[in-house]
Amino acid sequence: MNVFFQSLLSGILVGGVYALIGIGLTIIFGVMRVINFAHGDLLMLGMYVTWGLFTLFNIDPYLSLIITAPVLFLWGALLQKVLINRVLNALPQNQILLTIGMGLVMSNAIMLGFTSDYRILTTSYSSSSFQLFGLSVSQPLLYSFLITVAITGALFWFLQTTDTGQAIRATAQDRDAAQLMGINVKRMSVLAFGLGTALAGIAGALLAPTYYIFPQVGGPFTLKAFVVVVLGGMGSIVGATLGGVLIGVTESLSAVYIASGLKELVVYVLFLLILLFRPAGLLGKSRT
Amino acid sequence: MRLVSRVLSATVAAALALPGLAGAAPVKIGFINTITGAEAPIGETMTNGLELALEDLKKQGIDVKVIRQDDTGKPDKAISAIEQLATGDEVTAIVGPYTSACANAVAKQAEQYGVSQVIPAASKEEITRQGYKWVFRVNAPANVYAKALIDAALAFGKPKTVAFIYESTDFGSSLSKVGKEYALLKGLTVVADEAYQKGSPDYRSTLSKVKGQNPDLVFMVSYVADAILLMRQSRELGLKPQAFLGGGAGFDTAQFEGEKDISTNVFSVTQWTTDSSKSSEEFAARYQARFGKRPTYHAACTYTSMMVVGAAVKKGGADRAKVREALATDSWQTIMGEVKFVAYDGYGNQNKNAMPVIQYQAGKSVTVFPPKVATAKAVYPFPGWK
Repeated sequence: MNVFFQSLLSGILVGGVYALIGIGLTIIFGVMRVINFAHGDLLMLGMYVTWGLFTLFNIDPYLSLIITAPVLFLWGALLQKVLINRVLNALPQNQILLTIGMGLVMSNAIMLGFTSDYRILTTSYSSSSFQLFGLSVSQPLLYSFLITVAITGALFWFLQTTDTGQAIRATAQDRDAAQLMGINVKRMSVLAFGLGTALAGIAGALLAPTYYIFPQVGGPFTLKAFVVVVLGGMGSIVGATLGGVLIGVTESLSAVYIASGLKELVVYVLFLLILLFRPAGLLGKSRT
Repeated sequence: MRLVSRVLSATVAAALALPGLAGAAPVKIGFINTITGAEAPIGETMTNGLELALEDLKKQGIDVKVIRQDDTGKPDKAISAIEQLATGDEVTAIVGPYTSACANAVAKQAEQYGVSQVIPAASKEEITRQGYKWVFRVNAPANVYAKALIDAALAFGKPKTVAFIYESTDFGSSLSKVGKEYALLKGLTVVADEAYQKGSPDYRSTLSKVKGQNPDLVFMVSYVADAILLMRQSRELGLKPQAFLGGGAGFDTAQFEGEKDISTNVFSVTQWTTDSSKSSEEFAARYQARFGKRPTYHAACTYTSMMVVGAAVKKGGADRAKVREALATDSWQTIMGEVKFVAYDGYGNQNKNAMPVIQYQAGKSVTVFPPKVATAKAVYPFPGWK
């Protein structure tokens, strides 16, 4: 029974970070209907910024969020203004090619500058844990999870109550109607892409102390973000949160009760099953 | 006309027969290594070992030109590397590649093209068991790793159960397969057998499952980054067997050694230590002075491989067949002790290398087994996490 709760717990904690990656992707999709295939590479940039701040200035990875997040926000806003904005009305496949290309340029530029060596951040709490009812709670994972919860909460508050947040949501619901109501949809798009990028960067920073960092680290996370978002329903933030945790828990439990080598398989089988019965995802509204 | 061609062919024959003759071009040797990619930190130490060997060969007046290829740790890249080296650059022999998967892929091609391949540090058993004539291996194969570690654990204490955690690659599964067989032979019970997909951020569930079985020994096989991740998460979860046995590779790197919090008291097995031969200390000191860190076995194995190839080239020149002949019949005194490629137990052209067991104590690796070469007393059982 202990093994069950232990793996359930680590599944939930890891799932929190997956959720954060998914939320970033879903916001971008919701507002612009652009599928961002460079999402994992943006996460990778977040990891490298964190790593750089840690090794050069000895700034704690979690503290460095206050630098990483704005830097990534500006980078995302710039990408949207210079590149994505030009393909907003283009064919979806062109948008996909553009984002894939952006991702390749970013990961290869990092490889050129930093080589493809694996970097590992070692902090004082890298392998520490708390004991709770006989379960061990990973310190870095718990911190990441708490930060994820705080950021998701703040994001909800921002989108629900502030004028700008409501404008972003309005743009996501109906771009043309929002524009007619006097919302600057171009500005909202820049904001949304910046926000999505910042969230990816934060997720990267949160993963950095418990994972390793290399230029191609993004690919698997892009894929994971997709599964999370599609599972939860494209464009739904609550859905992405739910999807992330669900995937984390599924991975964790299937590693224990089926086989460690098959956890990805179980995740994708579950994913396909859910899509069979709910094609729009768990909380998605089918698009008409 | 006929006379001219006869004179010409006589000159050519003479030039070929006397490879050391002034004016002859240096003999080309291919070096396939993981210069970038996941195993790059190990690849770097191998490159360093090669550099030192080249210096020494130069001193001995053996003129070789090394052509380097990066396989990024992927077998398909390794295959295109050997195709380029064998047919384009027309090298006389090849040293490398590092990983088992790459070395095995290259071995097949080396055999096909008739180019000698000297493998420094890939451990999959099958590589030298396929009856290949052109493939030579300096390091000991996987069964020696597993045997050394389990023998050491049985000598230090009385473990009854063992858990295996390994990455699902050629190296991971072949090493743990022989490990399981040997453990059963020695009367141990295998209580967990967990292959994992490398590159996952979270191994906690796998580890808590293993912890639930309460094994006396935990045997792990991983490359660089995962070795650190697995040990970190073991510490988090409080996994506490009598001993952690790390199957070389990621458990035998400077990076792992540096992570004192998690490496202390972990056992690993190695192809070479500074106690392996008289000249080892000198090699280690030279390496330290040149590259600012201690050499790992990968560096020593690559150094040895290149020196052996150099010696064979001295005898056979650029002639592929003669170099192969020299590799197959000669023996050499090296920093790894005597190297000779022999056939035994189904292996062919395999050097019989003994593997000492090391343990990390206070941030340094010390040799603890077999007693003959041990320099420190083993800490057993594992005293627990700090």
